[in-house]
Amino acid sequence: MDSHVLDTLIARYEAEEGRLLGILSEIQEQEGYIPHDLLLMLSEKLGIRLSRLYSLVTFYSFFSLQPIGEHVITVCMGTACHVKGAEAVLAALEQHLGIEAGATQDGKFSVTTKDNQFTVTIARCFGACSIAPVLSVDGNLFGYATPENLPAILAGYGWREHAD
Amino acid sequence: MTHGSSEQNDVPEKPVIITINGRPCRAGKGETVLAVAIREGIPVPHLCHEESLAPYGACRLCLVEAGKPGKTEMTTACTLKAADGLEVITDTPQIVKHRSILFELYLAEAPKSEVIKEMAARYGVTKTRFLKKMETDDPLSEKCVLCGLCVRVCNEIMGAGAINFINRGPYTVVNTPFLEPSADCYGCGACVKVCPTHAVVMEEAGSERVMRSWSGTRVPLAACSCCGMYYAPRELAARTLAALDPHLDQDLAGLCPACRGKRIAEREILARQGGAGNHA
Repeated sequence: MDSHVLDTLIARYEAEEGRLLGILSEIQEQEGYIPHDLLLMLSEKLGIRLSRLYSLVTFYSFFSLQPIGEHVITVCMGTACHVKGAEAVLAALEQHLGIEAGATQDGKFSVTTKDNQFTVTIARCFGACSIAPVLSVDGNLFGYATPENLPAILAGYGWREHAD
Repeated sequence: MTHGSSEQNDVPEKPVIITINGRPCRAGKGETVLAVAIREGIPVPHLCHEESLAPYGACRLCLVEAGKPGKTEMTTACTLKAADGLEVITDTPQIVKHRSILFELYLAEAPKSEVIKEMAARYGVTKTRFLKKMETDDPLSEKCVLCGLCVRVCNEIMGAGAINFINRGPYTVVNTPFLEPSADCYGCGACVKVCPTHAVVMEEAGSERVMRSWSGTRVPLAACSCCGMYYAPRELAARTLAALDPHLDQDLAGLCPACRGKRIAEREILARQGGAGNHA
């Protein structure tokens, strides 16, 4: 996204009130993350301090400051899924993708594989407890997830076993 | 700013009398109970109160029991406006209990803060049952209680906006964006001054001021044109000089406060001697 595109994006918001989150979420959706230089540019164009923008972006888990992978896998860690073994599913997922999940420095739970194919995040509840444990890949829900059926799910998104 | 200041302008203001711990206290219109208590020397613990900023009610330590007899509620003294006949008690058993828990929480959040330790000890709280925050290389020296005073003074008073809250929940910290040295920081040190737990640190390193807590932001200092001492951040000094009305004389600008005082005194003496000479 260049300066001109950002200008047209900003111009779509008439009211100053409340436009900030709208603009930021559009950047997040179009770029897949909030690039450092875009945040700087936005700060200049809107006359809002960078510290304020950074504060907002790090507050909402919707925003990411790091590029996210091609496919986003969200594992539900809600109560029902937890009881049904979500932790084992997450552990297996980590193993298959060769990543170590855990809270990042900013406290957001989001890890991306080295080849930028997958980003793993967690959620608290999808509201699909009847088919727990649940995970979603790019918005598609997969119920009754087990460490065993994970490879089949992942394969649908271009994952190969031992494909380092 | 003051509520209803336009009404009854010609009628002399009725004094507002409130009672704190049974002692009648005179209060100004719109004054907060905490401000009255501080003036009267009645101890009410507080961390996030700063005269130059609007009441915020962040630290919750100034909890008091207030109201009319038989109809009281627990509320923060810093956000409570003094109203005639208001009765305030600063230390009921219930308040002491709540405050003690708050102190325990603060001891866990800012384990290295001597200020917190002393305040808590006055309430007999020396230990915490909560998990202490352990952070290696915390730029705020494990003393920050996230009261927000530094953020507010930087944004609302100085207008610099160099720092803000980052992240959320237990991961919340105050720092510069991207944890990089800030170009917006004036190096004024207001954040250091308002910090109730002395968490914010800066130091002078030769011709620069280093904001250690704010990602090592370095701000160039201005040297006194007379004695050569570094006396203020360069940009801040220039801005202040430009904002002065009437302007400071050219030969006084660029001097440190001590040399400026000396130069003004010298001038006064010369003028008087000159004046006396004229009369002779």
